[in-house]
Amino acid sequence: MTLRPRQILFFLAAVAPVGKLVLLPAQLAGIAGNDLWMPALAHLLFQAALIFCVLLLARRERTVLSLIRACAGGGCAASFAVLYALFLLFCAFLPIVEQKVMVRSIFYDTIPAHLVFAPFFLFSAYLACRPLPALGRIWDILTPVSVVCLIGLFLLSAGSCDFGALAPAGAAGKAGFFAGTAAAFSRFSDAAFLLPLVGRFRYERGFAAKGVLCYLAGGGVLLLFLAVFYGVFGEIAPLQSLAFARVGAFFPARGVVGRIDYLFAFGLAFVMAFYAVLPVHGAVGLVCEAFGERKLLAPLLSAGVNAALFAAVYLLNFYTVTVVSLFSGTLFWVFPVFGALVPLLLALLLGRRRDRGGRRAE
Amino acid sequence: MSKFLKRLPAKLWMIVCAAITLAFFANDFGLVDLQETALVLAAGIDRDGEEFSLTAQIAVPKGTDRTTGGTSSVEIEGRGATIPECLSDIYARTGWVPKLVFCDLLVLGETATRGDVFDCLDYFLRNEYIPDACLLAACAGSAKELISSASAIDDTSALALLNLFSEAAQKSGQVVPCTLREFAIGYFGESRSGYMPYVRAQAQEGSEQGAGGQGAAQNAEQGQQAQKVYSARETALFSGGALTGVLTSEETFAFSLLLEKVYAGAVTADDKTYVILKNKGGAELVKGGVPGLALRVECKVQIAGEHKAAPPDELAAGELSEEEEVRLSQTLEEHIRSLWQACSEADCDLFFFRRSLRRASRELFAKWKELPLSELDVRVHARAKSLR
Repeated sequence: MTLRPRQILFFLAAVAPVGKLVLLPAQLAGIAGNDLWMPALAHLLFQAALIFCVLLLARRERTVLSLIRACAGGGCAASFAVLYALFLLFCAFLPIVEQKVMVRSIFYDTIPAHLVFAPFFLFSAYLACRPLPALGRIWDILTPVSVVCLIGLFLLSAGSCDFGALAPAGAAGKAGFFAGTAAAFSRFSDAAFLLPLVGRFRYERGFAAKGVLCYLAGGGVLLLFLAVFYGVFGEIAPLQSLAFARVGAFFPARGVVGRIDYLFAFGLAFVMAFYAVLPVHGAVGLVCEAFGERKLLAPLLSAGVNAALFAAVYLLNFYTVTVVSLFSGTLFWVFPVFGALVPLLLALLLGRRRDRGGRRAE
Repeated sequence: MSKFLKRLPAKLWMIVCAAITLAFFANDFGLVDLQETALVLAAGIDRDGEEFSLTAQIAVPKGTDRTTGGTSSVEIEGRGATIPECLSDIYARTGWVPKLVFCDLLVLGETATRGDVFDCLDYFLRNEYIPDACLLAACAGSAKELISSASAIDDTSALALLNLFSEAAQKSGQVVPCTLREFAIGYFGESRSGYMPYVRAQAQEGSEQGAGGQGAAQNAEQGQQAQKVYSARETALFSGGALTGVLTSEETFAFSLLLEKVYAGAVTADDKTYVILKNKGGAELVKGGVPGLALRVECKVQIAGEHKAAPPDELAAGELSEEEEVRLSQTLEEHIRSLWQACSEADCDLFFFRRSLRRASRELFAKWKELPLSELDVRVHARAKSLR
């Protein structure tokens, strides 16, 4: 038991929604127009259901790998760990690319050198091999940062927001809704991120419901952000690719106090950096658990994985648009298959607390 | 000791990570090499046949002591088929990298506004390093001349122009500023219309003869260039991105009232000047039959001055008689009607009728989106009440 249940709730309520504020709002606005919130709502409800399943799995108070090992043997567990780790790294790639785009555009006011983002991988390599309590403590710290920064951005953007721009609902039609939903799969894998954490915290009565409520509360903030974003930019929303750093730029006192919205944008960028590292941490943790060695393997694996991610990100440096369309277009099906189907099957097959004979399962 | 040594590598690693994270968020520690960078304060755009000409007003440090300190500027012109090419031209000529993050004003010259202005404004929307909160203005004559003119009130014409668009100026109702974001939303929306202040420069009387003190010194420095004062009391109307009309100062004031922006702004009727202390207004879509617009203004006013002497008790009260209230309401209604007339002649959907129609109902929008503005049923209602 290394994580505290409240830390999971903090992650679901305050960290998970922040990871979706970079390119997703503009992308959804480009596809679904003023209905951009609808695909997001569909994903939030779907993810909330999956999170409920994953948290129910945590009732067994054993890790996913130990459950698979008990059920199907060590070889199967190891294969699952490697495959699922690859999927988690696949999930991590787009948030990291988004981070790179954001750092180059927001932190610098002329085009910086391409390598300015490289230190992120050292940070990620360090964090990904840290034990889980470190991650939990980070979520404790990130939660107030995220809350304060989101409130700050909402307050600064309130004066320039026209919620009327969201009318009429349903203007994008079914085509817009389904295209937006397909494109957004790449950004909603929160249930999959929780899977490596199963069995790492003490399950309390009603925790699954609390988790869902926290996730929906965070999701409500995400929906509000999407509404504010479209309210501020209207028809030019698809052009505003770094949504969270743009919405707060139009407050009346800007001429006097300058871009104080950047304080909040930097705060959120800080939270996002940790969100982007979470799947890498999960991948490293799963493989280490599968092969029973953490002390030596974790740093080596983390270094190797981050070196590979670094190479991939910089090899595809000039293909950002292609990468985004590949993940949210051509390969979007990978996310529901691994990110939804696997947690669902695991919950169904391994989630029962007792076997048919009434005895407590192994 | 051994415990400390055991943990040392982890601690060092943590310190390295913290230092790197700091560098990651540091933005080169905010350092800007002024020898290599041109901080563009404002840009003026003119069209010359198939080419654009962009005049950038670049901030240069004036000096460091108390008498010569402050901001001065130089104006550099770049030419090209597109705006980025103009900026590259400036770079090539000066060796300065044009930095537009501080560019708060874009002035469009008469030639630039004849066609669709988004063939030059698109660059500013695309570029992530230029703020969308940057203000837009159209001007009479050439933008280059306006940007390069010597202001009577500031060493830098861009700062003098930005003074015209201050929060206080907006509240006076004399000017209605517009940001790049607002203009782009109007242009790309159903209405395809927009507005921006229309700036005129006038020679400051007596400036050619050389005013005393600082003005005289400036004139000497600027080769006896006539000092200018600027006015942005008129508003340029755009339809499909091209300038199609200009609102007078009275119409601009009426527009400010409809936008609920006026506080302590003054309006004159029948040789009396009234100050507006509370302003409510708006344009509402009227459904049913042929759709229309209801333009409403309600305000609380006080007499600020009149063209005759008055006894102290009248001066102290500043109240309007019923007759004056009616007369002022009529004057405001006339201004609003005249404003609407100008908009319909310019085919400028200034009140975003088509956008309101789309938001109200998709069926209504499909049915009436092609309805000419001149055929709209427009109801005007203005009510001025005395502050008692």
